[in-house]
Amino acid sequence: MLSNIFTVSFFVSLLASTIRLATPILLPALGQIYTQRAGILNLSVEGTMTIGAVAGFAATYYSGSLWLGILMGMAFGMLYSLLMAVLSVTLRANQVIAGTALNILGIGLAVFFYRVIFGIQSLPPQVEPFQMLKIPFLSEIPVIGVILFQHNIIVYLSFVMVVITWFILEKTTFGLKIKAVGENPKAADSKGVNVSKYRYFAVLIGGIYAGAAGAFMSIAYLNIFTESIIGGRGFIAVAVVIFARFLPIRAMWGALLFGVASALQLRLQALGIDVANQLMLMLPYALTIIALVLASKKADFPSAYAIPYSRKER
Amino acid sequence: MKKKLLLMFLIMITALSFTVACSNSDSSDTSNKLKVALILPGKKDDLSFNQSMYEGMMAYVKANPDKIDLKVTENVYEVSDIEPALLDFADQGYDVIIGHGFQFMEPLIKVAAQYPDTAFVLGTGYKFESNSVIYDVSLDRGGYQMGVIAALATQTDKIGVIGGADVSEIYRGHEGFKLGAKSINPNIQVQEVYTGDWNDTAGAKEAAIGMYDSGVDVIWHSGDGIGLGVIQAAKEKDKYVLGNVADQHDLAPNNVLSGVVYQWQAVLEGIFADIESGKINDLTDNERFYWITAENGGEVYSKINDPKGWLTSDDLTKVESSWSDLKSGKIDFSVIKEPTN
Repeated sequence: MLSNIFTVSFFVSLLASTIRLATPILLPALGQIYTQRAGILNLSVEGTMTIGAVAGFAATYYSGSLWLGILMGMAFGMLYSLLMAVLSVTLRANQVIAGTALNILGIGLAVFFYRVIFGIQSLPPQVEPFQMLKIPFLSEIPVIGVILFQHNIIVYLSFVMVVITWFILEKTTFGLKIKAVGENPKAADSKGVNVSKYRYFAVLIGGIYAGAAGAFMSIAYLNIFTESIIGGRGFIAVAVVIFARFLPIRAMWGALLFGVASALQLRLQALGIDVANQLMLMLPYALTIIALVLASKKADFPSAYAIPYSRKER
Repeated sequence: MKKKLLLMFLIMITALSFTVACSNSDSSDTSNKLKVALILPGKKDDLSFNQSMYEGMMAYVKANPDKIDLKVTENVYEVSDIEPALLDFADQGYDVIIGHGFQFMEPLIKVAAQYPDTAFVLGTGYKFESNSVIYDVSLDRGGYQMGVIAALATQTDKIGVIGGADVSEIYRGHEGFKLGAKSINPNIQVQEVYTGDWNDTAGAKEAAIGMYDSGVDVIWHSGDGIGLGVIQAAKEKDKYVLGNVADQHDLAPNNVLSGVVYQWQAVLEGIFADIESGKINDLTDNERFYWITAENGGEVYSKINDPKGWLTSDDLTKVESSWSDLKSGKIDFSVIKEPTN
């Protein structure tokens, strides 16, 4: 029985699926690394992604351009996270409450606008999504080619963003300032770094990544918009950031870990492994919790994590 | 500080006003009409479970314009929201309150006991009070027919079924599917996945891709949002998919082979007749269940659409004869055990 299941084609299908499932977690997680490094915990990622999903979907539906869809997803993700920035930086609100409220509002707004734009139809509006882009030569390599080089372009770009994010945070002054305002805002301030400005940047960048990931769900992964299209991936992304100790490359492994667990449980169920399906469904989440527990012990939280900054307070 | 708090509250309230059901009244003249509240757990345009009932109800109202004053409330999904919603409508003096979904069962019978003069209608479930009735779909019939079609069409002797969670009618549907498939080919391999909820479109798509990759070439989906994911996977892999609830042919004209279609109108007539005549209080236990079935035309299958030509004319005859067996009640479903939970 087991030898029937664990064939080469099983693993190829499993790992290709892992990469697809990891993308919509990796992308928002990378964005949240900026945000959390700057000391802001933004829990409204899920809502921001839903906004990005509806914006990207509507733009693509009416213009026919998928790239415009991704762009609009990013723009609206940024616009929506501006709210979080105002609340958490300017008004110095409690970030957990602000994020939770904005999360509910975001999903509500997205569904509301979807209904306003598309009305009630007997068939859901669809777009022609991003097609699979086979990388010449590389995609011909047996096994590896199918796993790594037969995805749509957004998947490749998301993994490229891992390196870019790492570079910006570790090798540029901009990245240093982002980290400084999260680590020691007072010291950064005394050195002439505008704390509010860099925290705004960090939240907005997080919104751009989340919006792009939302648009990925509605016009690249799927070709429709539904209310729960994000399906908790925004929250998993926030967890992955902590699991990854705020490092882009570890965030990639975190996203892949969740991806492989999801892909595996679906396949094991299909092949009739004799375990209750409810237990199988828990697998990705249980794994995330275990990974979090193991990793967060060592997690080096920014010193000013989730603490509003005020010049007046000492 | 005060300002901040105020702002937070404002945002919270705005947020709630967007998520809490948008409701609408579909008629203005309320004199002498039966006041009916339909509470849906999801959106009325979900292309599936909610929409089928919404459209069934709208068709019934249209056919009886001077009998019913209908109010539809959407998105009451959480059990904690259901009881207040039911109490609210009962307090407002509604004559009939319909809770469309399994999760309405416990709160509904509780509220029904407190409002004996109001009629309560539950969509799928098994508990009732003397003033409540239940409508449900015997999805084992529809599933059986899908199993027959899938088993006849497959070229690999591997077929699949993907559902939300193994409760009530979905479980019966899946078991019916296996029964139907095995009636054609006892050795057929049936892969089965429950995605855990009805909204995880992406997860369902991934499950379907996994099945298609392993050689499955026909999948039936028994769910709402998840069905859209399965259909998209079928399109990408260019394999067949069987739909559920509504005719989904137009979603993927080259890949939707057929599907179960629900017609709730088939039982609404009977339910409202019993409520109006007051017979609802004297029904026997069995009479409290209104099943849409193949027999009463509440369940039909959408026209076979086979661009790949996998079904021979011999197969099509078998499809039709299995349907007429289902309609005349000849097939024995007693082998399907209810889930133990």
